[in-house]
Amino acid sequence: MRFSTIDELQEALRATSYLPDAGLSTALFLALTLEKPLLLEGEAGVGKTEAAKSLARATGARLIRLQCYEGLDVAHAVYEWNYARQLLHIRAAQEGTVDEGELYGPEFLIRRPLLEAIESDDPVVLLIDEIDRADDEFEAFLLEILSDFQITIPEIGTVAARRKPAVILTSNRTRELHDALKRRCLFHWIGHPTLEREIEIVTLRVPGVPERLAAEAARFVQGLRGLDLAKPPGVAETIDWTQALAALGQRELDAQVVESTLGSVLKYHEDFELVRDSDLVALVAEARVG
Amino acid sequence: MSANALTQHVVTFGRVLREAGLEVGPARLTDALRALDAVDLTSREEVYWALRTTLVTRWEELEPFDRAFAAWFLRAPVRPPLRVAVSAPRQAELARARRSDAGQLPEESGDGEVSLGWSADEWLRGKDFASMTPEEFARARKLMAEVARSRPRRRSRRLRSHARGRELHLRRLARSCLGTGGDPIDLRFRRRIERPRKLVVLCDVSGSMEAYSRALLLFLHALVASGRGVEVFAFGTRLTRLTSELRTRDPEQALERAAASVVDWASGTRIGDSLKAFNDVWGRRALSRGAVIVIVSDGWERQGQALVGPEMARLARAAYAVVWVNPLKGNPEYQPLAGGMRAALPYVDRFIAGHNLASLEQLSSVLAGIERRHAA
Repeated sequence: MRFSTIDELQEALRATSYLPDAGLSTALFLALTLEKPLLLEGEAGVGKTEAAKSLARATGARLIRLQCYEGLDVAHAVYEWNYARQLLHIRAAQEGTVDEGELYGPEFLIRRPLLEAIESDDPVVLLIDEIDRADDEFEAFLLEILSDFQITIPEIGTVAARRKPAVILTSNRTRELHDALKRRCLFHWIGHPTLEREIEIVTLRVPGVPERLAAEAARFVQGLRGLDLAKPPGVAETIDWTQALAALGQRELDAQVVESTLGSVLKYHEDFELVRDSDLVALVAEARVG
Repeated sequence: MSANALTQHVVTFGRVLREAGLEVGPARLTDALRALDAVDLTSREEVYWALRTTLVTRWEELEPFDRAFAAWFLRAPVRPPLRVAVSAPRQAELARARRSDAGQLPEESGDGEVSLGWSADEWLRGKDFASMTPEEFARARKLMAEVARSRPRRRSRRLRSHARGRELHLRRLARSCLGTGGDPIDLRFRRRIERPRKLVVLCDVSGSMEAYSRALLLFLHALVASGRGVEVFAFGTRLTRLTSELRTRDPEQALERAAASVVDWASGTRIGDSLKAFNDVWGRRALSRGAVIVIVSDGWERQGQALVGPEMARLARAAYAVVWVNPLKGNPEYQPLAGGMRAALPYVDRFIAGHNLASLEQLSSVLAGIERRHAA
């Protein structure tokens, strides 16, 4: 599905319960229009992965996700031969030698996410998640895919995309990515949302949440981000927390409930202690006044 | 605006960005033009995002980009670009740093006798950096690259062919079976390869470290050149990332660039605040996770001693191991009494000197064989 303006795309994303700001909408729109991969960076919990998922829903495309980890290699990301089948095939042939071309045909090929995305006939959003977790050699494998949308398999040849997938890469910036990789991508930094947007996001994501609770929770979390925390909470935490509060039947914030549910907002013990010991009551009061 | 004028405009903007330190090549400019083609040119917001998405490649570039955009497209008063040439006071500091190394000539008369049975290099290895002559220093510098070569290693999850590996190399096996009718005769194995472990160095460049910081930075330059995965930061009253400055091949030039980017060279020390800045910005991005952290400092903390303990604890929890290098420890009578040092020691796995080449060699072998920390 194509969009002719940024607003159109933004509307489609909204319809999937995702509220991008102008910057992210433009970046996603350009990724689709220029057919270039988009690298999304930002703090944890600001919705990088969610952006790709929503884009898939909004465009009616299939989401193919490659979660990166250390040691990820071609066999797990691109393709692998089905060795067991190959060996059985050779055995089964008994007399009469097996032709090499036969052994390296498509029926022995196991398709991993990247090859699957390239070969797909349907529209695809390819999410390469947390690319910074993979070791840097792996980035080299991606270069051919990201610039030419093709994969070279020595035994078969080059497989070119029948239809270019939309590619989203995310990174938490635990290390600097290779320039060659960055050169092939558009770049967007996702920051924390403004208060108004965060309230809107929470309201959209937690169906039936009392208006007042959504506003107070968002304001409280924004207040937390202003503190000197080891790990400031992202929107994901605000959503989780509001969900918890709503499930407890809260209609507004009060210090006691905040203290007992703070664990879903603050994931580090020091942060938890810092907030609990210092200014919890004041913070809650501030969030309630608005 | 005609297409041609727009192109002109964007190309000139590209030049402004390059001046501000962004890497803007022709390919990026082409993307920018294509992007502008796709958005509404009358909307300032869309133009801004289109250019930012295509011309910025990393977080650090966001601020210079915003400034350049404001100056160029919105005609705001132009503020000085971020990357200025070395200013006059810093030039003076640089010169001072150089002079202080070239400083006093050694007076010890016993040196000649001691060196009788040693090679010149051997003798140099034991000499305090603070008392080296420029010639000696130049010689020491050559030996440093050698010392910096060994790095802590970790086992990767990546496999490679190896005669004594544990896992069957199935891809090879299938191919070899082609010739044997499916009988696996020629077994090949793979095993995990070893990769250099992340190494993060935080180097104190405050006034009290002045006699050593030049020598240590040269060592760090050699360390950065030893391969990927080394990050270097300098701190005095604030934290500065030096990795890219030290990546310059020529050590002198690297040092000059490093000195130019450190604004608080030879000033006071705020170890606690600097550690906190590191934990907040870099630790949060998991730079310290699984890394060997080396802190080079004499542990003199003027204010904020209370911060040192908790921030060291935070650092040590994420790190694989923490090594503290203190040039003062080279003196046999030294005791870690300085407040900052005392607060930090419980979280330090290895505490070593760093006042001469021999001690850097020791550092190097410690780094090569370091094990995961046990007690917090």
